Amino acid sequence: MTGTKILIVDDELIMRESLSAWLARDGHAVTTAQNGEEALEKIKQTRFDIFLVDIKMEGMSGLDVLKHIKEDDPEPAVVMITAFGSVPTAIEAMKNGAYDYLLKPFDPAELGVLIEKIIAHQAQARENLFLKEQIKETIRFESMIGQSNPMQNVFALIMDVAPTDSTVLITGETGTGKGLAAKAIHTNSPRCDGPFVIVNCGAIPEHLMESELFGHQKGAFTDAKETKKGRLELAHGGTLFLDEIGEISMRMQIDLLRVLEDRIFYRVGGTQPIEADFRVITATNRDLSDAIKKEAFREDLYYRLNVIEIQMPTLRERKEDIPLLAKHFLHRFSQDINKSIDQIDRGAMDEMMLYEWPGNVRELENAIERAVVVGKSRNVLPEDLPFYCKVDPDIPLSNSLKEIEKNHISRILKENDWNIAKSSKILDIDRSTLYSKIKKYNILKSN
Amino acid sequence: MTALPEHSIIISPIGSYEPEFLKEIAESIKQIYGLHTEVTAILKNINFAMNKDRNQYHSTLILEKLAERVSSHTSKVLAITDVDLFIPILTYVYGEAQLGGISCIISTFRLNMETQHAASNRVISSRIVKEAIHELGHTFKLRHCPEKTCIMHYCRSINDVDRKSEQMCRHCRILLKDELKRRGAKVPK
Ligand SMILES: [Zn+2]
Ligand SMILES: [Zn+2]
Repeated sequence: MTGTKILIVDDELIMRESLSAWLARDGHAVTTAQNGEEALEKIKQTRFDIFLVDIKMEGMSGLDVLKHIKEDDPEPAVVMITAFGSVPTAIEAMKNGAYDYLLKPFDPAELGVLIEKIIAHQAQARENLFLKEQIKETIRFESMIGQSNPMQNVFALIMDVAPTDSTVLITGETGTGKGLAAKAIHTNSPRCDGPFVIVNCGAIPEHLMESELFGHQKGAFTDAKETKKGRLELAHGGTLFLDEIGEISMRMQIDLLRVLEDRIFYRVGGTQPIEADFRVITATNRDLSDAIKKEAFREDLYYRLNVIEIQMPTLRERKEDIPLLAKHFLHRFSQDINKSIDQIDRGAMDEMMLYEWPGNVRELENAIERAVVVGKSRNVLPEDLPFYCKVDPDIPLSNSLKEIEKNHISRILKENDWNIAKSSKILDIDRSTLYSKIKKYNILKSN
Repeated sequence: MTALPEHSIIISPIGSYEPEFLKEIAESIKQIYGLHTEVTAILKNINFAMNKDRNQYHSTLILEKLAERVSSHTSKVLAITDVDLFIPILTYVYGEAQLGGISCIISTFRLNMETQHAASNRVISSRIVKEAIHELGHTFKLRHCPEKTCIMHYCRSINDVDRKSEQMCRHCRILLKDELKRRGAKVPK
């Protein structure tokens, strides 16, 4: 979570430049677009938190840009930039979902207050989501499964490093089971009787991170009604697992490095040094060496964390494990909802073996869960799978994986009125992947 | 401008200032950044940056000109002026800096303004020192800091400026050290 992502859309170069330089000094990650078309291109690559959109532009108007942004994803805040004459349009924009408008030139304090207000707003929403997710997190946790070579290698490595106290960095795509690997290291280590404390660095809002990790003293800030232990303290005698470590801010990186060096820290608002003994395991799906090059991740911290690296294979690299995993999930979910589905139809298994699984094991788990819920027979059938597409008798049958993927994506998009945020969530891939697939397969809205 | 050591900070007054006052600023800057400082006027006038419609000076243009005039890529330049500065999107600015660049500027125009109490010379010069160190911080890639007492905190009002210290917080000090190291400069303790 390094900085709020802001996109400025303005056709006047001088306005774009002066605004983006100003916001950059505030620590935000600023991108600019000189017209609506370019802006829409940019939102395909990145998810922005805040948009600053000029109302009067050549080509696509600010109102149109607003409409497109909101269609794509209703969550980000859109602030309209107006000149004196276009205030009525700005008011109309507010009716269409704009967060606010600013009359240019703005007062620097006014801009600062507005941006801060939006960030606080979004942090609150993230915090609520975080609390909800935390409950879910604990439910899904079980042993790792796999007989394939890549998984056997991972198991061997885990058994090698578990008895040591070395810091481990686990890398791999989302859904490959990085958390399970961390848990397995802990369970097979001498610390197994101690706590296993998870911190999802990507899910904890930045303003809560410090007190989550280090704890706080009563009265340290307005909401600190009680003294609270942080997760570092809670991990004493056990293992601290920092998931999505690539998402922590520069400030937290500095603090974390200090803890790893000194093994001593302070609660927020506290003066007494606290000592805690824990092993650190971290995980990321990001390329940290690339983040180091971009000065978004500290090199000294990286070397502290990456003493031993475990790379989790993707599901497509170990397709022979799919039947085993699928049966395992089937067994669990059918028991969970007390429905007697106990077989996977041959055709359904073939579909699963052909599919690319961009969301890896987690996507497979979700697919089986859905199949158990919607299935009407004792067997899981191809049509129970979320990525399966019914063959239209008019279209010649294609067995190519690409064709299947294209059809599946088109169907999900259509079912969700081309809402990209929703569709990418269902497909369990990120927005940029979805966009690039739409482009690659030339999927058109009118289809 | 040839005898300047590597990694110097040039303080460039625009207009006339008391030499004593400039020396004081130079001293405070040296304490924070640990680099050689020197007072030299590089820009005689800034008429080119004057905007007649707004009756203010466009600070970004001044920054560009300053950066052009400094031959050494390892040095920084801080200009001090008493005219009111602006950037096109904002009504005014206290100062501006090239983030990770060479030049920055501060204006004393609004720092002289009285708050609830009449400001003494002491208070005003402290404000100027704070803004100077702050803008220079940006040229060393530092961004605004959430710590209210930290000199890299962005101040919305003069009162906020008076409230913050003349020091960097622990985080900003480490980030500054990193940047100095990257540039091969001597790192202050
Ligand atoms: Zn600043
Ligand atoms: Zn700071």
